[in-house]
Amino acid sequence: MTEKKKTETLLEVVDLKMYFPVYGGVFRSHVADVKAIDGVNFTLREGETLGLVGESGCGKSTTGKCIINLNRPTSGHIIFHTQKDASRGYRITPEKPVPVNLAKLNNDQMRPYRSEIQMIFQDPYASLNPRMTVSDIIMEPLSIHMPELSKAQMLEKVDWLMEKVGLSAEQATRYPHEFSGGQRQRIGIARALATNPRLVIADEPVSALDVSIQAQVINLMQDLQEEFGLTYIFIAHDLAVVEHISDRIAVMYLGNIVELADAETLFKNPLHPYTRALMSAIPHPDPNVKKDKRIVLQGDVPSPMKKPSGCGFRTRCPIARNDCAIDVPPMLEAAPEHFVACPYYATQDKN
Amino acid sequence: MANELLKVKNLKTYFKTEAGIAKAVDGVDFDIMPGEVLGIVGESGSGKSVTSLSIMQLIPNPPGDIVEGNIIFEGKDLLEAYRRKDYDVIRKIRGNKISMIFQEPMTSLNPVFTIGDQVAESLVLHKGMTPKEARDYAVKMLELVGIPSARERIDEYPHQFSGGMRQRVMIAMALSCDPSLLIADEPTTALDVTIQAQILELMLEVKAKTSNAAILLITHDMAVIAETCHRVVVMYCGRIQEIADVKTIFHSPQHPYTQGLLASLPKPGQKVKRLSTIEGMVPSLFNLPKGCSFCTRCSQKLAQCETVPPEMVETAPGHLVRCHLAKPMNSA
Repeated sequence: MTEKKKTETLLEVVDLKMYFPVYGGVFRSHVADVKAIDGVNFTLREGETLGLVGESGCGKSTTGKCIINLNRPTSGHIIFHTQKDASRGYRITPEKPVPVNLAKLNNDQMRPYRSEIQMIFQDPYASLNPRMTVSDIIMEPLSIHMPELSKAQMLEKVDWLMEKVGLSAEQATRYPHEFSGGQRQRIGIARALATNPRLVIADEPVSALDVSIQAQVINLMQDLQEEFGLTYIFIAHDLAVVEHISDRIAVMYLGNIVELADAETLFKNPLHPYTRALMSAIPHPDPNVKKDKRIVLQGDVPSPMKKPSGCGFRTRCPIARNDCAIDVPPMLEAAPEHFVACPYYATQDKN
Repeated sequence: MANELLKVKNLKTYFKTEAGIAKAVDGVDFDIMPGEVLGIVGESGSGKSVTSLSIMQLIPNPPGDIVEGNIIFEGKDLLEAYRRKDYDVIRKIRGNKISMIFQEPMTSLNPVFTIGDQVAESLVLHKGMTPKEARDYAVKMLELVGIPSARERIDEYPHQFSGGMRQRVMIAMALSCDPSLLIADEPTTALDVTIQAQILELMLEVKAKTSNAAILLITHDMAVIAETCHRVVVMYCGRIQEIADVKTIFHSPQHPYTQGLLASLPKPGQKVKRLSTIEGMVPSLFNLPKGCSFCTRCSQKLAQCETVPPEMVETAPGHLVRCHLAKPMNSA
């Protein structure tokens, strides 16, 4: 989409696992794990937008939360190419400091890096404190991460941010309930941008908004990305929105990435049987577009507590074989930069 | 023209609140033919759900009240009995001739009754079946909506079902009495895409297999409308802005709101650099503009739009538009 080459690595996620333990029985013993993420790998390049899509419970939000260290992952690595050098008091340095493994940091160690990774949340009604004014909300990250600024400088930055996200500076003294859903989401975006982040994780940022407002917020996010060179991880279930905003898309199913490719390729030539079913399930906003035979998947997503052995998708897969139950299929590079976790993708009929 | 199944005439449903009167539905006219799938689309607060609840007379009163209008179902005005406070008339129709599927499959089933009890309830009530007959019929309905091993699962409780399965149970409940009108209020909004595809397909399939009920589908998702409906009603701020058949709405929309709404959708497979938007936001129901309710956001606004509310204009047979720009059929 943009002309600039996006080659610098910003974040590497290696074999990330997040299990939530389940306790049961009389003695509250550890009986099972909810395997929310079960071995996720991807690399994020500076300046790109990576879309994470999948159905509810596939682990897309948990992946986002692990990266920002709201969940401590069970195992795996999250290598973040930071600009802050821990040995020099977390000052931003021009030369590249050693990348940091976020998965191994505790809260105190994580704090300096939080200004570089920010999050936009799904529900603009729940993610803003109703007792704080808008300027307090946007100022809070500033006072934590940039305590050297004076109050006047902070207020100036708040005004500047509000203008950037399309609100007027006079609205700064109001409270969140005085704003509509779309405006609240703009406040959430301004708060995320306050600390000059490099990576913004947007977890379903537009799913709570009306269609006409959705487009406004998506355009705003794209403008800000261009202006500040942001990198986005865009988590959503709406495939049309994800296709629009993303450079690359990772499709998740039951805690694993099943396919990863650039947005155009993924929509033109989906390879994994799950991606194909997902694509064919998207309703198209044009009554004249006649669908090829819709692949309707049978049954529901299995519980992440009782994942099927081997490939997680095999219980609903139209091309499953006996040996799918044995091993978790590895990621294959089917075409340059097009990864698919299915050894039998080539055996499907071509539409 | 064949006889309409349902005719809604000048329906006005207001809510009296401390902040003033919210005109949630303010003069809505449309009709549904037997067997037709009619879609109502609009943003939150446009009055689409209130319209459907008014038809079912499920508006909480107070604060809400149907203040004006007629709802003529199979030739009988349902609101006439409502005004006499005779609620037996609607009680015989609700769940029997007109039934409803709600948005939240998690909350619209009663958690303390088994699935079988809930499907059988309306059969005993409306069809006069014995509990045993009703139970057998419920099994049949659950099989029809694709619940595996229905005979065993009939004694399970809603929490033992997934979201998609619960919505199937809702459909079984809604269709068990052979209704002639099925109102589906955002039936797939809470579901995942692959489950949404299953449920929409199932609704149309079961409708064809049973009494060929007309469906009033309420949704905010234009794509769902495009795939399922025959005709579309576009609502904004409690008023209908445009009615036309589905192809006309998507290919030659006349109202600036419909045009803006369609342009702001990202379309699968057609990547554009920027989405076009509708500027501004929906005005508050307490503070609607005097003229056209869309005039605050309209890109093609005329001087009269702010003061004179536009009337419905028929621009082509069956294509009605509420806009000053629309040209009536014969003058065009």
